[in-house]
Amino acid sequence: MILRPTPLLALFLLSLSPVGAATSILRGPYLQSAAPDSIVIRWRTDATEASVVSYGTDREQLTSVAKTEGILTEHIVPLSGLKPATTYYYTVGAAPYAPPAAGKSGSSSRAAIHSFTTPPPAGTAKPTRIWVLGDPGTKSDVQRAVRDAYYNFTAKRATDLWLLLGDNAYPDGTDADYQKAIFEMYPATLRSSPVWPALGNHDARSANSETQSGVYYDIFTLPTRAQAGGVMSGTEAYYSFDYANIHFICLDSHDTDRKPDGAMMQWLKADLAATTRDWIIAFFHHPTYTKGTHDSDKDSDSSGRMNDMRAIFLPVLEQGGVDLILTGHSHVYERSPLINGHFGKSPTFDAVKHVVQKGDGRVGGDGAYRKKRGRVPNAGEISVVTGSAGQAGSRPPPLNHPVFYIALNEAGSSVIDVDGLRLDLTFINDKGEKRDWFSIIKE
Amino acid sequence: MRAPETILLVVLAATALRAHPEIEAGLARLNAALATQPGNADLYLERGELYARHEEWIHAEANFLAAAELAPRHAGILRARGALALARRRPTEALPLLNEARDLDPADLSTRILRARALRQLDRIGEAGEEFDYVLRQSRTPSPDLILERAAMLTPPEALRVLEGALARTGPVPALELRALALEETLGRIDDALARLERLTAAAERKETWLRRRGDLLRRSGRESEARAAFAAALAALGSLPDWLRESPESATLAKELATLSHPQPSSPP
Repeated sequence: MILRPTPLLALFLLSLSPVGAATSILRGPYLQSAAPDSIVIRWRTDATEASVVSYGTDREQLTSVAKTEGILTEHIVPLSGLKPATTYYYTVGAAPYAPPAAGKSGSSSRAAIHSFTTPPPAGTAKPTRIWVLGDPGTKSDVQRAVRDAYYNFTAKRATDLWLLLGDNAYPDGTDADYQKAIFEMYPATLRSSPVWPALGNHDARSANSETQSGVYYDIFTLPTRAQAGGVMSGTEAYYSFDYANIHFICLDSHDTDRKPDGAMMQWLKADLAATTRDWIIAFFHHPTYTKGTHDSDKDSDSSGRMNDMRAIFLPVLEQGGVDLILTGHSHVYERSPLINGHFGKSPTFDAVKHVVQKGDGRVGGDGAYRKKRGRVPNAGEISVVTGSAGQAGSRPPPLNHPVFYIALNEAGSSVIDVDGLRLDLTFINDKGEKRDWFSIIKE
Repeated sequence: MRAPETILLVVLAATALRAHPEIEAGLARLNAALATQPGNADLYLERGELYARHEEWIHAEANFLAAAELAPRHAGILRARGALALARRRPTEALPLLNEARDLDPADLSTRILRARALRQLDRIGEAGEEFDYVLRQSRTPSPDLILERAAMLTPPEALRVLEGALARTGPVPALELRALALEETLGRIDDALARLERLTAAAERKETWLRRRGDLLRRSGRESEARAAFAAALAALGSLPDWLRESPESATLAKELATLSHPQPSSPP
């Protein structure tokens, strides 16, 4: 029998269960679908209860309350009417927050006060830090070391948002896998920074993009109606959003039709045509080029998905003016110079024809990569495979794809800083060493 | 008792495929688990799925058959066998397996989608359509590709009706709107198509491409002066963009095209 919650039933149950008396939070809170004026806060409790978020811009005055109906263990509360670029403090629980009485500390975990900062108005430039994790979910010491290396690197600098490039929870993307690999691994970041995921092949073992069902789709609340900018996709499998002057595009390289006339492609074209942001960053799981723990030259590898992303989607992304492509799947770090127009296998790569600007891209080295501001088709992008946030290749991969300027078989994660018309990416390994970096400057 | 040929195939399957460390790791884990739990059908199913993901059909089939012998009425195994048969373009073989899987677990939408595709491949279009309709009704957020797949099985007026219903649920998904526009033009419902374009233009941050599309549609429909007005509006929209976007090479090319299009064509009526 399905018990349908009603307000009366909710009140009755609440009266039986004093706030914070019996339940505890198993997961979260975590932040989803952040927009300048809205955000979704989710968490899970070990017993059913109401879903209430108390929030405000003053830590001592959490007087605004948002709630969703129902007595549940999986809590999903949208907050709307927020101010852009504003720090909000919040608590989650079964009832509105009551501050501790004078002289008593509110030490209960249920009363813990967290904070997040809303994105600025779309199009407004703001220094932005983005943490990029590809294939993180091994639940291993390596994953922890990569995480801690980033935490040391960023220190007090807040992470504005973070991207998961797929294979977020090994081995099967089950709810239990996600619990260990994501929710127990990054609790502080989840509470304060919105996470934007892509679907990987391991996540897809417990999820189905066609029916929008399964663990990945149950866990994440992603924009199907362009709630955070971009053009609506109508599905959580692929979507776009804006943060400041950056437009992000997430594609489903695993489980959605990748045909040139498929819905994802039609959406991508419409989305690229619609954006007016300074930067376009695309992310998805399967790399367009790699010679790491996968080989993008092999048709059989990953059932041709890498071929599809390179031969079908890359030309459209380049035509649409993409600046940076982030992928995982291959458990290495590989990074190109500024390139354009290479859609074949590695033997067809011609540096003279396909490299728009060579060099290391480093200020103080060969110089930053430079692009003209504006929507310039085929002006070149940097392709970054950063799929080693949970493990590096277990045996030495070839790492000899000619498109790449640098390739490392090292565990680590990438950090992107965007400040106006300058974008910097840094790869930090699991020992905290800065192993690669480059800049793109638009002028 | 398991047939000897199945045992042989399963042994072969356990030792083959050495393409990628990730697959090897998966195989090693499953082989070890099967050594201690040889009667576990789910492990054979999992190993079969591992092979199927890498299009190793023979090995996948061997494992699915071994799983089926251990658990003949297991919906997941039946679905996997049906999916494999479909992937190998054998809809006649797939359908009975998927029928049985559906009977065991009618709420499994993945099975229902596979069954719809098997029926369609067998030219049983009416039944395939019913199955697709069931999936679309039950899906929390129906995938745009599924909606398009369903619409493609219908006559233009029926397809348009399905798309309108889907759009009412999903909102203006570009792929669905574009298909609806094409159908409206095919059916000669030009004013409906123009109204649709007007809605899309109003909602768009950059309006010039939608206005260009409007002009193209009007010109194809012989409404020349309205077409020129639409091209001129597109040009104006382009002009209202910030400098850094308006002055990009792409915008400059589009502006040139629109400037030409917005003037009377040599063969067009005055």
